Amino acid sequence: MKFFVCFQALFISVPFFFVNTASAKLTAKANHDRITVDFFYHGSTVSVKGVSDPNKDLIIKITSDEGQQALREKGKLGGLLWMNVGELKIDHVPNIYFLHSTKDIEDILSRDEINKHVIGYPALKNHVAMNASDEAEKDKWFNEFIKYKEFSKLYGTTTGQISLTEGKGTQNYYILTQWPYQAPPGNYTVTVYAVKDRKVVETATSNVVVEQVGVVKELANIAKNNAAEYGFISIFAALSAGFGVAMIFRKNGGAH
Amino acid sequence: MYLYLPVALTSINILIPICLGLGVGLLSGLFGVGGGFLMTPLLIMFGIPSTVAAATDSNQIVAASVSGTYAHWKVGNVDFKMGLYLLAGGFIGGLVGVELIKILRAMGDAGFVIKITYVLMLGSVGIYMFIESLQSMKKKKTEKVDEEKDSKVVRFLKSLPLQTRFEKSGVTHSALVPVALGGFVGVLAAIMGVGGGFLMVPVMFYILRMPMHVIVGTSLFQILFTCIEVTFLQSYTNHTVDFILAILLLVGSTVGAQIGATFGRKMKGDQLKIILASIVLVVTAKIVLELTLAPSLLLSQAGGH
Repeated sequence: MKFFVCFQALFISVPFFFVNTASAKLTAKANHDRITVDFFYHGSTVSVKGVSDPNKDLIIKITSDEGQQALREKGKLGGLLWMNVGELKIDHVPNIYFLHSTKDIEDILSRDEINKHVIGYPALKNHVAMNASDEAEKDKWFNEFIKYKEFSKLYGTTTGQISLTEGKGTQNYYILTQWPYQAPPGNYTVTVYAVKDRKVVETATSNVVVEQVGVVKELANIAKNNAAEYGFISIFAALSAGFGVAMIFRKNGGAH
Repeated sequence: MYLYLPVALTSINILIPICLGLGVGLLSGLFGVGGGFLMTPLLIMFGIPSTVAAATDSNQIVAASVSGTYAHWKVGNVDFKMGLYLLAGGFIGGLVGVELIKILRAMGDAGFVIKITYVLMLGSVGIYMFIESLQSMKKKKTEKVDEEKDSKVVRFLKSLPLQTRFEKSGVTHSALVPVALGGFVGVLAAIMGVGGGFLMVPVMFYILRMPMHVIVGTSLFQILFTCIEVTFLQSYTNHTVDFILAILLLVGSTVGAQIGATFGRKMKGDQLKIILASIVLVVTAKIVLELTLAPSLLLSQAGGH
């Protein structure tokens, strides 16, 4: 079958190129620039490695484009029942946000730099726009938003997971991260920040593309663009399967 | 083994939907309920977005109910005439229910009204059915059903125009009765966002006085058409039917429905009722707990019921 042909083992390696945007010293390379989503996709891995100046701390941020997120808020109604009580709308927020750093962000970057580059959840909170009535409400619902996103495996942070080894007057870094299957198809940006004296001194960026292929892509397209046909196909398949199984049981003496 | 679901945009171990389908299909074949009130929350629990879970479940019920209807029809347990009257009422009721939801939403607390209606309906149907089945099991042989007791209701029903005989069920009713009852269940089903099988079964038993085995087949026949309509509307307007997930579910549910229908024929009506009542009560208790215990996450995906 076609989707069997589309099968790709997880963790396959595809060349992945980084464009150095600052000083020439910072380089980066990863094992994925295109993650294909076929029938057997169950997430993948993305590793980022490269070379930087020695004695620099590193921060790796993987994000999707910013947009609006709308979620239902639960609250106690009449002090008794937990119900959906409203809708939380957050603007200028990425659907995916992963952050990895060699040390605690607050220890290696100034508050201004953190906010300028939107590094870490507090900076993200300052960056987004929310339909909250006051600062306390914003704090509460942003924390809930992070909890929800981390539970959905779409947000995450680690500290000290980037391994550093000394080279000849350089520093080699490497991190292997899990890419969650919950991350929808789209374009993702990987940004590497080299940090010294509480300032970002170099950056490098690249894109990771996650895209559906084969039958998965075809089905998603039909569902979206040919909704009536898709509806009829779904109903026809269900009716056929139901009748088919009923016939098999009849032949086997299940019903007489 | 995991499969990626192109509309739900998530990956799932194929054994999960197959086993869920088998379990819910079994209930479907056994009791004549679609099982949406069980399947949708279970799918959400396994990471399927709520909108996709509800829509895909309808598609799966099409398969389970056609499988179950066929099995029941082969042994003469489907009253097509009654089913069509109920269906006509259900269709009108569904339209009214959708308009009612719009009014409730405009007024504000739609969610609250829907949840409370759901809990009250499920709870009262479950308790009544449980107690009634228990009592009738105790006195089954010693006493005949006391038909005179409800002579007022019977007399009223008999006084209605358009009386017609439903041969398969062995009852005579005004054509208006199943249409009105179908309409009532349709309104509630639309408000609660469920197929309404668990409401239709008691209505057919207690008000239409149909035999339990014919009820199961007829209910499935009716559910089949309701879910065909819902599947199409969900695909067309919301693009939320996941074909692959539906296939995995129906692999289990079609087989489950056949096994359920076979088991059902070996069980007595009261036994079927008391098991269904117990399931309905467990589901009610689960919803009450969800409403009263603090959730671990205060945010959820927008959409769904």
